[in-house]
This record gives sequence, C-alpha cells and structure tokens, in this order.
Amino acid sequence: MIRLPTLPISPWLRFAALNTLRNRRRSLVTVAVAALGTAAILLAGGFALYTYQGLAEGSARTTGHLVLANSAQFTQDEETPLQHGLDGWTALRRQLQDDPSVRQVLPRVEFSGLIGNGDKSVVMVGVGIDPDAEFAVKGPFLTVTAGTLLDGRSRDTVMLGERLARNLKASPGSGLTLLATTAAGALNARDVTVVGLISTGIPEVDARLVYTDVLSAQQLLGSERVSSLGIFLDRMEATEPARQRLRQPLLAQAPQLAMQTWLEQAPFYRSVKDLYNRIFGALGLIIGVIVVFVVTNAMAMAIIERTREIGTLRALGTLPGQLLRSLALEGLLLGGTGALVGAVLSLTISIGLLIVPVEMPPPPGRSVGYPLQIAIDPTLYLLTLLTMTLLSTGAAALVARRTVHRPITEALAHT
Amino acid sequence: MSPTPERSHALVVLSLRGLRRSYQLGPQRIDALQGVDLEAHAGELLALTGPSGSGKSTLLNLAGLIDPPDAGEIHLDGHRVDALAEQARTLLRRDAIGFIFQGFNLVPVMTVADNVDYPLFLTGVPAAERHRRVAALLEAVGLGAHAAHRPDALSGGQRQRVAIARALIKQPRLVIADEPTASLDSQTADQVLELMRTLGHRDGAAFLIATHDDRLTRRCDRVVRLHDGRITAAAEGATT
Repeated sequence: MIRLPTLPISPWLRFAALNTLRNRRRSLVTVAVAALGTAAILLAGGFALYTYQGLAEGSARTTGHLVLANSAQFTQDEETPLQHGLDGWTALRRQLQDDPSVRQVLPRVEFSGLIGNGDKSVVMVGVGIDPDAEFAVKGPFLTVTAGTLLDGRSRDTVMLGERLARNLKASPGSGLTLLATTAAGALNARDVTVVGLISTGIPEVDARLVYTDVLSAQQLLGSERVSSLGIFLDRMEATEPARQRLRQPLLAQAPQLAMQTWLEQAPFYRSVKDLYNRIFGALGLIIGVIVVFVVTNAMAMAIIERTREIGTLRALGTLPGQLLRSLALEGLLLGGTGALVGAVLSLTISIGLLIVPVEMPPPPGRSVGYPLQIAIDPTLYLLTLLTMTLLSTGAAALVARRTVHRPITEALAHT
Repeated sequence: MSPTPERSHALVVLSLRGLRRSYQLGPQRIDALQGVDLEAHAGELLALTGPSGSGKSTLLNLAGLIDPPDAGEIHLDGHRVDALAEQARTLLRRDAIGFIFQGFNLVPVMTVADNVDYPLFLTGVPAAERHRRVAALLEAVGLGAHAAHRPDALSGGQRQRVAIARALIKQPRLVIADEPTASLDSQTADQVLELMRTLGHRDGAAFLIATHDDRLTRRCDRVVRLHDGRITAAAEGATT
C-alpha cells in the first residue's frame, strides 16, 4: 500500500488521495481518459490557434495591417479603373510613415484586363506594387519558380503566376502585352517583359495573377491614383491602437478616406475561424461529456462500494458537507491528474513537431502543403486544465450528493 | 476530570422516556420500539439482550442519535436531544458519542493511528495534542507497535481494539456498541470486554451494548432484555 506523507497535505486531501488508490485500475482508466481528453482538446485547440495565427499573418502580409483608401473603394464597385483611387497618395504615404509603429506604407494598384502573347489572350488580375519596398517589408511571400523578382528601377516588367505563364507559354524574358481599360474608359495596351514566375500556392490565383510596378500599372490605366495604401506595422497587436491613432488626423483633412484593418479585409480568415471554432468547440464539448461520464461512473462505483463506510463516518460525526468535499476532492484528483498528464502529453507532441517537422498535404484549393504545428498557448492550457478539473470535481460531487445525505441506518446496513 | 466508578454510577448520562419507533416494510408496519424507558449511568456497562427483531439495534440507533424517534424523549447528560436538527445531532455524535460496530467498520485506507485519530480530527483538536492522545490510547489497548499498520494487517481482536480506541479517544459520554464480540473468538472476546470495562470505568463513559453473547452480559453492570420492542426484564450483571 502506498504511504502518503502526513504533512503538509491537508488530511481531507490525503484521505481523498488514499481513496483514489483503492481501485488502482479504475482510477488509472479514469485518469487515462481525462488525460487523453485533455490532450485531444489541447492539440486540436493548438492546431486551430496555429492555423488562426498563420492565416492572420498571411492576411496582414497580403493587405497590410491597415488599409487606407477612399471609403467608396471598400463599399462600391468601380465603373472605371481607379474611379475610387487615392489622389495625392505620396503625401499620405509620407504622413503615415512618420508614425513610429509604421514599418512601411505600400501603394497598390489593382486592375484587370487581358494579357496576350500575340497568339492568345487570357483574362488577368493585375496588381501594381512598389517592388523594392514590398519585398523588403514582406520578405519572400511569393515562391519564385523561375526568373527573378521585380526590380523597382525597371519599368514594364511583370511577374506571372506560373499557371498563367504556362497558359501563355511564357518564361522569363518573354514579351507579352497587357490590355486594359483606362480610367477615362479607353482601351490601352503596354508591352511588358516577363522577369519571373511565381506561385502563391492557390492554383486559381496563379492562373490569373500579374504583378508589375505601380508606375507601369498607372501608365496602363492612365491615372496617377493608387487603389489603396497598405500600412505595415511592427506587430499584429499594434493594429487597433494604430488605427485609432492614425485615422483621426487623416479623416480631419480628408473625410472621404476610410481605414480598415486586415481582419475586415480577410473574409477567408473569418470564415475559417468561425468553422474551426464550431468544429473544435463541438469536439471539446463531446470530450468534456465523455470525461464527465467516465469520472461520474468511476465515482459512482467507488461510492457504492463505500456506502457502509460513508455511513460509519457519518455516525462518527462527519458532516455531509465534509464527506461531499472529500469525495469531490477525489474527483478533483482524478480529473486534475488526468488533465496534467494530458497537458504534458500535448506539450511533448507540440515540441516534438518543432523538432521533427511533419508536412501536411495541401488543403483543398491549394497546391502546396504546410508544416503541422501546434501552438502552445498558456491561456488555452490554463483554461482546459481548469475546466477538466472543475468538471471532474463537479461530477464527483454530483454523484456523492445523494449518498452522503442517505439515512445513516440505511448506509450502515448496505452490503 | 473523570468521575470515580462509585460516583459515576450515580450520574445519569442517557435517559430514554417512552421511546417509540416504527418502520414501514412494504405494506407491513413494524413497531420496533413500543415505549421504552431506560437510563444509563456514567461508567456503566449496560447490556441489551433479546432475540433478533426485538428492537436492540433500533434502540441503539435512537440512543446514538443516528435515527430519530417517532415519539418519546432522549436526554443526554440532562439535555433533551431527540428533537435536534440533523446537523446538531451530527455534531453531538461527533463530540459525545462513540460507536463500536460488530464488523469493526475501520477505514481500510487509513492506518491504525489515523483511524483512532479521526474523531479527534473532526472535533478540531490540535495535531500535537491528537498525536499524544492517540499514541497513549494505542499503548493502553496494546497496539502501540501497530500504529502505522493498516487494519487489514491486524487480527479480528486487534481490529476491535482499534475500534474501541476510536470510540473512546474523544472521551465520549456514551458509547454505543453493536455486538462488539460477535466476530471474535472467546479468548479475544474476553480481552476486548475487559478492555471496554477498564477504559469505560476510567473515562466514566456509559456503554450501551447490544449483544447475544452471555459471556459479555455476565461482565456487564446491568442487563436489559428486550422483546417485541418492549423491555421485559432488567437485572444487575455479575460483576456489579
């Protein structure tokens, strides 16, 4: 029999611990179920958090943490290219860059039209960027599959999505023609040279995407406007404070301006988060119910076996509340130990995945896989451990409630 | 201070007046006690005898405040206690009544010392004082060397001595004993009886003992016979 130290453990806790050791196999099964349940919740939750972080960072990296544009740009469709574009954007850019939390302000010209190789034309979705600043602030956000990145000093050069390039039989050095409607409503064409092929990981995007520099895009569209300014901050958490700080002076000087956060620009992130929250929420609920059932069952059996002993302790002058607390402590010990073991298991797996990376296959709609990683979030761990422990304690107390209030004579006569 | 045996016999610890208790067993009503009057004195060993179903256990349950009477009065140390609320009865049991069960009813996961210590722990006696008293009483019942053992490592007689120590550790006014020698061989039963008698007289506790054991009744101060829920005979025991 295991001997527990007399001090400094509370006598009730010690009594509860000794009681959990009466039927070790049953206690082990209960702890194992609580541990697996906790690990499952932590791993699923950690995976969801990692996914949220990845998607959030990806969204912010694509659009900027904040996006400044005319309010109509966010709410209305354009009848002509850059109809709702920003005038005087260089001054706005300088003004925004004065803020200490702003790393970079990137102009963006969005347009659409046709791209052709002389034999064939296909629909394109074009983006005019400031290449040097864009690549400096974003890092290698695109996978260059052939050629090089755009150069800020060159004009009339493009990077193509690799499926678009394949469609047009284009490669670095190929000459193509961009055809688009100008801001004035006329058709305009520009000859461009392909400098690189890129992959975003999304085949549908790679089949249409064309990157060029801002000036070439503006010349194609016959306008000096840009669609929007992407504001890149030093960290994600600075988004909302920066919006509050930057918006007021801008709106005072130009009320038609509006500023959105990356979250407002990321419907995919919101829908994925909503879906995952529902899936993992349901999973957590099911696991919680299973743990409650297992603890309830284990405690019910333990209490039935000890009915006579409970009657004896009541006869000796133990108050029902004291016995209830002791039995609830047993649930706490079983659930708490299981939760702790589960947390250690989850932590080990999460760290193990950092040491030995596991590559996941591409998700639907993507052409590249991603590393399987589990976020280690202290709040998630704390909440899960607390919930599991409380559920187990509550389940044990619920089961014990009836027996501790049973007439002593009945309990003593129990066989 | 414990009263001397001579004086303690004069002090009424337990007084039962017109005690009635009936049970419903399916459609049948069983009148387990039909107006019992009884007194137990300090230091007295009072044996309750009678055939099965005569009401001995019911009387013990009522006197031990683990079951309320339908009618009648229970006085403990001069205070009426039959109408107390559940919690007050529990606290009175904790402070003033010891129990010895036929099957010992020790807690198997506790050591011998912990079992004996439990009633003191409940009353909130400081740990150092508890340890001193437990050690002294275990020595008195001859189990000093077994303090750290579990009950399942002891013989039947040793277990019953632990149960007696547990009942007496808080120096109760009343000890309820239900067939305390039924699970013991005759030699062990004699030892246990002698122990109860010695410690009971020392502490001035009144013992109310339900038994079928003639050896036990012969050693008790007084014997009361129950039949069909009524006291039919009372006699002074052989040792008085």
